[in-house]
Amino acid sequence: MRESNGAVRVGVYVCHCGSNIGAIVDCKAVAEYAAGLLHVAVARDYKYMCSDPGQELIQKDIEEHKLNRIVVASCSPHLHENTFRVATAKAGLNPYYLTMVNIREHDSWVHTDRAAATEKAKDLVRGAVRRVVLQRPLEKGRVPIDPKVLVVGGGIAGIHAALTLANAGKKVYLVEREPTIGGHMAMFDKTFPTLDCAACILTPKMSTVKNHPNITLWTYSEVESVSGYVGNYDVKVRRRTRYINEDLCSGCQECIAACVFKEPKFPDEFNQRLGKRKPIYLPFPQAVPQTPVIDPETCIEFKTGKCKKTCLEACADRHAIDFKLTDTVEEIRVGTIIVCTGFQAYDARRSPQFGYGIYPNVYTSLEIERLVNAAGPTAGEVVLRDGKTVPRSIGIIHCVGSRDENANRWCSRVCCMYSLKLAHLLKEHTDAEIFNFYIDMRTPGKSFEEFYQRLLNEGVHFIRGKVAEVTDWAADPSEEGKLVLRVEDTLLGVVRRIPVDMVVLSVGLEPHADAQDVRRMFNMTCSNEGFFLERHPKLAPVNTFTDGVFLAGCCQGPKDIPDTVAQAGAAAAEAMALIDAGYVEQEPNVAYVIEEDCSGCKTCIPMCPYSAITFREQDKKAEVNAVLCKGCGTCVAACPSGSIQQRLFEDDELFEELEGVLIHA
Amino acid sequence: MKQTMKFQREADPEWSERFRTLPGCERISSCIQCGTCSGTCPLSIYMDYTPRKIIALIRAGFREEALSSKTIWLCASCYSCAALCPQQIHITDVMYSLKREAIQAKKYPPRFPIPVLAQEFFNYVKNWGRNAEIPVVLKMALKSNPFILLSMIRSGWGLFRTGRISLKRERIKRTGELQRALSAVKEHSHA
Repeated sequence: MRESNGAVRVGVYVCHCGSNIGAIVDCKAVAEYAAGLLHVAVARDYKYMCSDPGQELIQKDIEEHKLNRIVVASCSPHLHENTFRVATAKAGLNPYYLTMVNIREHDSWVHTDRAAATEKAKDLVRGAVRRVVLQRPLEKGRVPIDPKVLVVGGGIAGIHAALTLANAGKKVYLVEREPTIGGHMAMFDKTFPTLDCAACILTPKMSTVKNHPNITLWTYSEVESVSGYVGNYDVKVRRRTRYINEDLCSGCQECIAACVFKEPKFPDEFNQRLGKRKPIYLPFPQAVPQTPVIDPETCIEFKTGKCKKTCLEACADRHAIDFKLTDTVEEIRVGTIIVCTGFQAYDARRSPQFGYGIYPNVYTSLEIERLVNAAGPTAGEVVLRDGKTVPRSIGIIHCVGSRDENANRWCSRVCCMYSLKLAHLLKEHTDAEIFNFYIDMRTPGKSFEEFYQRLLNEGVHFIRGKVAEVTDWAADPSEEGKLVLRVEDTLLGVVRRIPVDMVVLSVGLEPHADAQDVRRMFNMTCSNEGFFLERHPKLAPVNTFTDGVFLAGCCQGPKDIPDTVAQAGAAAAEAMALIDAGYVEQEPNVAYVIEEDCSGCKTCIPMCPYSAITFREQDKKAEVNAVLCKGCGTCVAACPSGSIQQRLFEDDELFEELEGVLIHA
Repeated sequence: MKQTMKFQREADPEWSERFRTLPGCERISSCIQCGTCSGTCPLSIYMDYTPRKIIALIRAGFREEALSSKTIWLCASCYSCAALCPQQIHITDVMYSLKREAIQAKKYPPRFPIPVLAQEFFNYVKNWGRNAEIPVVLKMALKSNPFILLSMIRSGWGLFRTGRISLKRERIKRTGELQRALSAVKEHSHA
């Protein structure tokens, strides 16, 4: 590598970025001005510095003009710092002899006065030139990556990510909070727009997960804590006890049959509380794993200790049931983490005008999914809450809890399509008159519009307007005993009253109530609405701001099954890219302690957001772990004696730059 | 046959933009035309334009239609629309802004009693500090359409008999101070 033996020779490159910068900043004038600055050997302006010819320009100049410092005045370093570092390194110069000046986001995009913006660009360039003279050569560090992966959440996203990784030979831990994997998709009856049976396409993947030699499946479990850094995360997983030993249970379900409760008596969570289950139960027939759970809230043995324990007898020699089992905590080390914790459905009680929880025959869409399902509480028979009446007319209200400043402001993206699907299924099951109330019909997917056309031709009514009120008050004898939807038919411009037997609320998708806890645990960020935030909305859609932590599925935002699966595959590929590289390169801009100045006051230790600073007892000094340090600079600012410095942001470099910016030449 | 096509020259986009800066009207641009306002409005069934259409008229800049609509006078200020509006548009405030402008521009329908009632109510309260139904309603009828009194006789007599309305004129002390306060408001609103 060429080092700065002898005179410092700076090359300054001013980029027009097409008209992004060039329209507001006089780039030529900036380059001419820079040419006159101390140490500057060459200064040029160019239309697109980031293009290949632009980079070659720098490389040629390094060769011809013997440059040993480079200043590029262009866009944000977030976008092209790496491009120019690579270009500089290729020409044989240490890449940390480069500095970037942001004259786009910090200048041309935020100013309108051409003369003043040009002056500002000159100031910024002058600061950078003075700074770059002092910059030191640095080397990147390397951290090895543990090849094991943790997948959090066993819905379709987690299942797909885990299988993709496992099939590639990676060891995967799949952790699921519920007693079975499958997530929301397992509750659905059919999937839009093809009307494949959800269970038929999901359950084979579920059992593959169970039997895959590379997947360790922990259901009824939750991640309790995460520490470490990319490539080396230490994770604690609490495995809640089912009171049934998973290894001993054969899945025969004799215990469920033998329970002292002859009939199911307690609300069944999986069936949206429409059906009943026993205290010992399997959420649904194809649940994975096929190990029942005992619910201590309803089990007589737990409540009184006086049960006949017929389940124990039924289990006989296997001894899988043990009321004394307790939670266990597993400690694992993984290199990468994929978070696929999914969504929760909007609670329709929060919008009381739709009457959910007030009128029994107002249902949520998830309840209807179970109601039309052959494995559901009514074995697929669509009947009202009385258990026998088949509805003759049904109203489906779109956008419940979505696109609403009083609830959630976002469009939940799948409701239009699943409402169409439910309209079709309900029509098929009951031949009822079906009314869909929508604000805007959003069918932007492959074969989605065709599905809408199909529904239009099936005779389903579509009324453009958001229902203002669901009531049982009859304004007309024809409305007696019905639920009446009052709505403006915005296409006709008249207010209509439509009596129906059943109302379906197409509830939106929202982040889990405990999403904030999950976010903190994995050191992620959230968007305004509370969904986990991807690193870049277009170019890094499955990465988070924490290296080695990836996102997939509805925890990142509402999406349908194909998009979820695609995203899960992408997250798996990103994890694999890290694993197969074997190591990650670490930016060298880390903090370090000047030991002779450190007084051992420990101020810096709690300040560090990455727990990268430790206190060395033997000589009472702080020490920065360069692998954990992200170069945020908090400790540098916090140190009362100024004994922490950060590479690439050394005091002398920063002060020199400041002076350069502030002194008008 | 009446032609219903609207020409863009009839629209006043500048008025539309200015209107959206009035207090309470700022969120008009966010309207998604879902019709919740019209659906929940107890009076929309009598209106010539539903509240949703009024918002659409404002956005399109059709000032004439918006100001001369009966809708703005039928609004009973029950605030149902504002409570349910998914975009939190203060529709009742929008109606008031339109009414205010319609009064200033004298854009209400001829012999339409409601703006007359509003004016008479204001005058009466300004003079006496209290409202009295009988004189206000009488004035409204005389200034708009005296025949509507016939349709009110029954309910009026019922209210009178049960003491809900009376012929007695009530007033507050120091009405001069009230008038000074009101004229200060009026001056300020014209500034």
